[in-house]
Amino acid sequence: MQPSEAKRFSMWNRGERKGESRREKAERGLLPAAFRPLPSQSADRAGYLMVLPYVIHTVIFIGYPLAFAFVLIFHRWNIYSPMKWVGLGNIKLLLIDPLIWRALGNTIFFLLIHIPLQLIIALGLAQLLNQKIRGRTFFRASYFLPVVISGIVVTILWQQLYAYETGLVNLALREINLPRVGWLTDPRIAMVSIAVMATWKNVGLYVVLFLVGLQAIPSHLYEAAELDGASSWQKFRLITVPMLNPTIMLVLVLSTINGFSLFIEPYVMTGGGPVSSTLSGILYLYKQAFFFGKMGYAATIGFFWALIIFMVVLIQRRVVETEAV
Amino acid sequence: MRLLFITLLLASLSNCTPSPSANTSQAEDRITLTYWSATNPDEVKFANETAAEWNREHPQIQIKIEVVPAGQSSEEVVLAAVASRTTPDIYASVFPGVMQDLLDARGVVQLDGFPDFDAVLNERMPPETSEQYRSPDGHFYQMPWKSNPIMMLYNTGMLREVGITTLPTTYSEFLAAATRVTRDRDGDGRVDQWMATIDYLPIWYKRMYDYYPLYLAASGGETLLQKRRVAFNNEHSIEVFRFLQECFSKGYVPRQTFQGDVFLDAKVAAKFSGPWSISHLERYRPADFEYEYAPMLRPDNASIQPVSYADSKSIVIFTTCRHPREAWEFVKFMTTKRNDLRLLEITSQLPIRASMLEDEVFADYFGRHPQMVRFAEQVLGARSVDSVSELKEIFDIITQEFEASVIFNLKSPEQAVQDAAQRSQTILDVE
Repeated sequence: MQPSEAKRFSMWNRGERKGESRREKAERGLLPAAFRPLPSQSADRAGYLMVLPYVIHTVIFIGYPLAFAFVLIFHRWNIYSPMKWVGLGNIKLLLIDPLIWRALGNTIFFLLIHIPLQLIIALGLAQLLNQKIRGRTFFRASYFLPVVISGIVVTILWQQLYAYETGLVNLALREINLPRVGWLTDPRIAMVSIAVMATWKNVGLYVVLFLVGLQAIPSHLYEAAELDGASSWQKFRLITVPMLNPTIMLVLVLSTINGFSLFIEPYVMTGGGPVSSTLSGILYLYKQAFFFGKMGYAATIGFFWALIIFMVVLIQRRVVETEAV
Repeated sequence: MRLLFITLLLASLSNCTPSPSANTSQAEDRITLTYWSATNPDEVKFANETAAEWNREHPQIQIKIEVVPAGQSSEEVVLAAVASRTTPDIYASVFPGVMQDLLDARGVVQLDGFPDFDAVLNERMPPETSEQYRSPDGHFYQMPWKSNPIMMLYNTGMLREVGITTLPTTYSEFLAAATRVTRDRDGDGRVDQWMATIDYLPIWYKRMYDYYPLYLAASGGETLLQKRRVAFNNEHSIEVFRFLQECFSKGYVPRQTFQGDVFLDAKVAAKFSGPWSISHLERYRPADFEYEYAPMLRPDNASIQPVSYADSKSIVIFTTCRHPREAWEFVKFMTTKRNDLRLLEITSQLPIRASMLEDEVFADYFGRHPQMVRFAEQVLGARSVDSVSELKEIFDIITQEFEASVIFNLKSPEQAVQDAAQRSQTILDVE
């Protein structure tokens, strides 16, 4: 075959026509995206205008603060004095600061209690509320109510409940002749108390997510399983859980991120104590920024914390996806 | 008719409008300086009375009193004002620990730039007292004004009841008294009377009223740092931690909170306190309630005179002030002997002034307030805090180690002091 014939054959094979421009080829979908010519300016203008408000918002409220925070990592700055270059000083401090590692340990301890507790309770309640029971709407609303109540209000309420001398929980213990417990004053218990409170506050949201997931499972799967003589536990284990996998993943990711953002509860209830047992990363960041005026170090903690969340969520995804396969 | 009305209106308006006269130029020449006072009513009263007298005597330099705006702490409010350049001209309640922040922000005027500053300062106090208010760059940016030395306050009636007639001065005397005072009075099997109360909340400034005065007393007035090097990693700190740990572990100090005033209710026999408590005690004490102040406790082997924490406040002029010379004139007026006496009379707070007890201007006051004599004796020797911007964080670190060792007994005093020192030095080293 002559070269000219080979070229014609190749063009025919790709569906091209002789003398066809790139724009014409693009209109017929013959060019890969990277080789397509840009749309005409007049056609683009409306598109750019449509996205402009979001771009401006992103640049001002996300891009600029992020870039500024990154610059802060290498500076010492207390808002009212000029910035001072410290090079890698803040990063070195982070690596040897025992409190940031303590905060990380506390947060992991919190998550180890909070996430399983939340998953089990939310899934259990969602299963119950998915049945045809009397007052179902009332119960659904009741479990969701703490989610919409202000975090500060809920925290102060629980602080009163946990109070050593006058708290309702200890008064109840006394009624059954049990000793009082330092729910927020005992370093071994304080974080557990906060995890229980946080679970109560957030569980309603995850109940709703699980309910949506449960209602999306086709009922014929259960009917088929029943015909095969599957028990309730088998139906739950072999149909409900695998079908809820995307929801479980979502709940895991959301509660992990929420857990790493733990702030209001320890800030209001314990101030991070006793003996730093409830100090969370965000509370430590806040203290560094607004108690001690160390914006640079606070920014360093912020980036470190974001990196940790990213890594944990990535690992969670891998684990859940592997198990699903 | 309408024309007549307009004519009358214009005539009346022209009468209201001030004519360009000597009054106008006087008003234009008049300087108004804004002075921020601390929020407590006594200090506001002092500020108002002092400013009123000044304003009468100096019609061309008027002082406008404003109370420092509300915030979590006055230091935060002042620093926020510096950042936004909304500071007043003069502020009279600056905590010396915040001075370095104010300097870093270039927020305060250098006072020793005024030719008569040294004379005014030296007239009030000896150099060994004033030196602790000098900034690391060698200049004075604050006028040391008042001091509230922290001392031990005892319920002498409770001590006498268990056979103690001499107030404890050392740790072992205090602990020996504590074994007798701490007991179950009503026989229900639970301790209801303790030796002392300590506000052990893990808040950084609380350590200025327990650990820090004890440390100063033990170390003979050495502060926590020396030229940005940690200096509290020593036997004195360990002794203080060990003493306080024993107080808590043996139950001489209650770990619970009570309604009302635990000292006035005679549930405890001692507390750390300053002169501000005198007026409260005098107002609310039962007729048979007896109390006395004593110098800060010190270790048994210490032969030095006990020194305490001064809890002092200074006066500054902000760089936003357009008339610093006139502001300095007012500061000088505020710190005259007569106004120092006014400060004592109105606020029961002590001016940092030498020889008050020998001065006839103050003789009548101290004759009427014998409890204040103890504090006046301490004023010049009492120490303030180090002037570093990391001060708050260093006290926070000490508080964390205090909590771990003294309150929860999770660390030995040696380990706690060493950890506090190491962490403090680390943050001082990051520049």
